Amino acid sequence: MALFIYGTATNTGKGFFTAEDRRNFFLRGFPGDVWVIGNNEKGALWLAEKNGVEKTKAEAQAIVDAEVTAAQAAYDALPEDQKNRPGFNQRPTAITLP
Amino acid sequence: MTTYNQLAGLRVNYLGSDPTLNTGNEGQVWYNSATGTLRSLVQIQAWSSAGNMNTARFALAGAGTQTAGLGFGGYVISGGNQNATEEYSGYTWANGGNLGTARRSIAGCGTQTAGLGFGGFSTTATTTATEEYDGSTWAVGGALGTARRNMGGAGLQTAGLGFGGYTTVNTNVTELYNGTSWTAGGNLNTTRAELAGAGTQTLGLAFGGNTGAVTGATEEYNGSTWTSTNSMNTARKYLAGAGTQTAALGFGGTTGSNTAVTEGYDGTTWVNSPSMSTARRRLGGSGIISAGLAFGGETTTQVATTEEFNSTIFSPATGAWASGGNMNTARAQLASANAGTQNAGLAFGGFNWPGTNYNATEEYDGSAWTAGGNLGTTRRNLGGSGTQTAGLAFGGYTSPPVPTGLQLVTEEYDGSTWTAGGNSNTGGFLMGNGGGTQTAALKAGGGSAVSTQTEEYDGSTWTIGGALNTARIDTTVDGSQTAGIIVGGEAPGGTTAAAEKYDGSSWTSAPTSLVALQNQGKSGGLSAQTALMTAGGDGPTVSPATGITQEYDGTNWTTAPTLSTARRQLAGGGVKTAGLVFGGTVASVTALANTEEWSGPQTTATASTLTTS
Repeated sequence: MALFIYGTATNTGKGFFTAEDRRNFFLRGFPGDVWVIGNNEKGALWLAEKNGVEKTKAEAQAIVDAEVTAAQAAYDALPEDQKNRPGFNQRPTAITLP
Repeated sequence: MTTYNQLAGLRVNYLGSDPTLNTGNEGQVWYNSATGTLRSLVQIQAWSSAGNMNTARFALAGAGTQTAGLGFGGYVISGGNQNATEEYSGYTWANGGNLGTARRSIAGCGTQTAGLGFGGFSTTATTTATEEYDGSTWAVGGALGTARRNMGGAGLQTAGLGFGGYTTVNTNVTELYNGTSWTAGGNLNTTRAELAGAGTQTLGLAFGGNTGAVTGATEEYNGSTWTSTNSMNTARKYLAGAGTQTAALGFGGTTGSNTAVTEGYDGTTWVNSPSMSTARRRLGGSGIISAGLAFGGETTTQVATTEEFNSTIFSPATGAWASGGNMNTARAQLASANAGTQNAGLAFGGFNWPGTNYNATEEYDGSAWTAGGNLGTTRRNLGGSGTQTAGLAFGGYTSPPVPTGLQLVTEEYDGSTWTAGGNSNTGGFLMGNGGGTQTAALKAGGGSAVSTQTEEYDGSTWTIGGALNTARIDTTVDGSQTAGIIVGGEAPGGTTAAAEKYDGSSWTSAPTSLVALQNQGKSGGLSAQTALMTAGGDGPTVSPATGITQEYDGTNWTTAPTLSTARRQLAGGGVKTAGLVFGGTVASVTALANTEEWSGPQTTATASTLTTS
């Protein structure tokens, strides 16, 4: 059985996930409203309750990659003097989903 | 057939959901119509025997947990005052290092590897002696202001609480220990000796004791003042205690004759629990409400008897992050009011990619963010101190190039409007920076590059303080102007895990954090020097960002469950047990608007479904 479920869901704020949810299953958020969820009954139920859309890992990674690519293009279009300090306004970097 | 009504004289409640699972509903039976099940809050609590101490004794002190307990000092008939220390593993007792001053009727707190012993009766008199245990050796600590014995103790080695006791008469004096010295706290309402304690220095609990007669009086301490609450069911003296202010355990003692009675406290009411097997007084105690430890004591003579208390109804749950309300403006490199709370946070300034600075201020009420007054100077990478209604913004960066974009500007917030304060001597990149209050603020490190600079604000003017030992930027500063802490950041040699603490004039080294990180969020507030949580950030081993949570108790760093969204360049507020982080960025792709709220470890109850099997 796969370790994770992949999906998209919009973080609606308070109550979107609870401390009890965090105790019940693994949960990590990424750009593009992508969520990586522990593959157990409660994790799967949480995604469904949040009106989430389940994705394959490849589909989820593609959503994140598209977000990163768009952000890199926006960054590259900046004047050079706005990129002058590493750690301060860094070029967006790739993200690999677990 | 005999019905429940005929047996109990009551009908089974028909409920749409389980009731609140607290002590008030223990033993109740109800029908949950949503699940179609007969339910009950079944209490399974019991004391069980455990390995005896090596030295039978009474009038000893206890510290630590059920599986890492500490017993020290005490008295042996025909043997006199004891200096022996023993460590409990959960199975057996092993000898540890001896106290420097043999004594009985000593108080204790802390952990097995960071214990604190204070007061008591030595050869001929009550004593002020304080000693600190490191897991093997006792070292001399700062003396109590008031020599006494049979006092109550709570808290940690670096944040201890001593209260009540006997000098030549009973006393109500309270003292607070900071790891070095004792200072006066608020007096108990009920003057007494031979009492028990639980909790922490800022959330303490005193109960039972001797006022001239046995008492069950209970008081809660908030760091400065004791407030009386409901008394124990069984008034007694020479009892032992364990747990926290809202989940305490009191056991043993004497009412005139030895008792084995055990009571649990939920922050409001004492409820009887199963009694110990061996009734005794002047015993040692440690642990928590669901996992207590009783050891030693006096029956008709000294005993080595150890018992473990376990409760399945109140099971501890780990701390966890939960989602909070989203900010209206997603941003990173923002600042916060460091002394704000989880239900009264303040966010201001910041940045979003590819190149927008913000002057927006938002106020958090525990569920939603609403707009406050805008900063006068739009900026990112700024520092912040104070509270939601008395905030402080300083430094930051407006636009290239460096250094002309670096800001010295300070602004003060009154809950609706920002007004100009005194300029700092060196402004610039101060993200993650800021301890203290609007009128007594602290900033350290940062600026135009890594630095050792410290500045203190008095409400109108910034003055130079003691220099850091490790120059750094993008660091975490919290605490107060006289009890500050700094950890992590970018140093000349790369990201550092180094921590330092500030006493109002100089920085000294503190234990390094477990992971070298910069650009972290923080929850600690004015007590951060002994109770700090950092979350998120980035570093050489966790690029582009991490959700790592690290907790500091003044002595040790530990890890806690991670954030749900890994991020760096975020801000935070609240305290270690009820923290708040918001904003930041995962990988400089875009800024985040989301908030996460930390709920510290809790004691929870679980209802059981009754079956016919």
